[in-house]
Amino acid sequence: MKLQINNQERETAARNLQELAEELQLPAKGVAVAVNNAMVMRASWATHTLSENDRITIVKAACGG
Amino acid sequence: MLQFISHYTDRYTYLDSIRFALEGGCRWVQLRMKGATDDDVRPIAREALSLCRQAGATFIIDDRVALVKELGADGVHLGKNDMPIAEARQLLGPNCIIGGTANTFADIVAHHRASANYIGCGPFRFTTTKDNLSPVLGLDGYRHIVEQMRQARIDLPIVAIGGITAGDIPAILGTGITGIALSGAILRASDPVKEMKRIINITQP
Repeated sequence: MKLQINNQERETAARNLQELAEELQLPAKGVAVAVNNAMVMRASWATHTLSENDRITIVKAACGG
Repeated sequence: MLQFISHYTDRYTYLDSIRFALEGGCRWVQLRMKGATDDDVRPIAREALSLCRQAGATFIIDDRVALVKELGADGVHLGKNDMPIAEARQLLGPNCIIGGTANTFADIVAHHRASANYIGCGPFRFTTTKDNLSPVLGLDGYRHIVEQMRQARIDLPIVAIGGITAGDIPAILGTGITGIALSGAILRASDPVKEMKRIINITQP
């Protein structure tokens, strides 16, 4: 599936935000994520299903990417 | 995504404004208390951090790198006259969000190199509150900057700031800008919580 992450296109196999976070190796702390401009709390990542062309914004600390 | 920048009025305190924002659904808060001392800010920041933690919101503090480190806030926002981003990164380590104010693409490139995690880009229009020396960007300015970032493959989130009202938001997000920072609009509304909800809805069409 194709996503826009911080305005860059990315192909992913992730089905939800948690899987995407793992794929992107997001750190355990210091990350804020929004899907189509709605902030999604970490506790909800696993249940937040991704759809084709979702626009993801990730604010994360420097490490791991 | 919406970043709320705390402010105050005769009726409401900084913490009131943060409570309103969180209650209205905002999950990214910046505490900005220009002109105050760290000792003035500390108790307010501590309370704000606790409110943000309860709400699951990201909490950053404007300018005060030492306080961010001391309190364990999620990050710091650095304006043009604040500590350089690279220096703050050394003090705060890799797990802290650092945002930097930019007026031009050149600023963004410099912030990106210095390890910034997001960009506050403005001013969108002339404001009386700050940064009056910087040229106004408007929608064309944002479009141009977003395109330059795409070409340079700089994938930092970029938040528009400066004199933005609710009615501007759809057009700004239409330029490819990824977020909006708002300050004044909330407390000026007769029902600040309702106003925050309305604005959040506008950013999430």
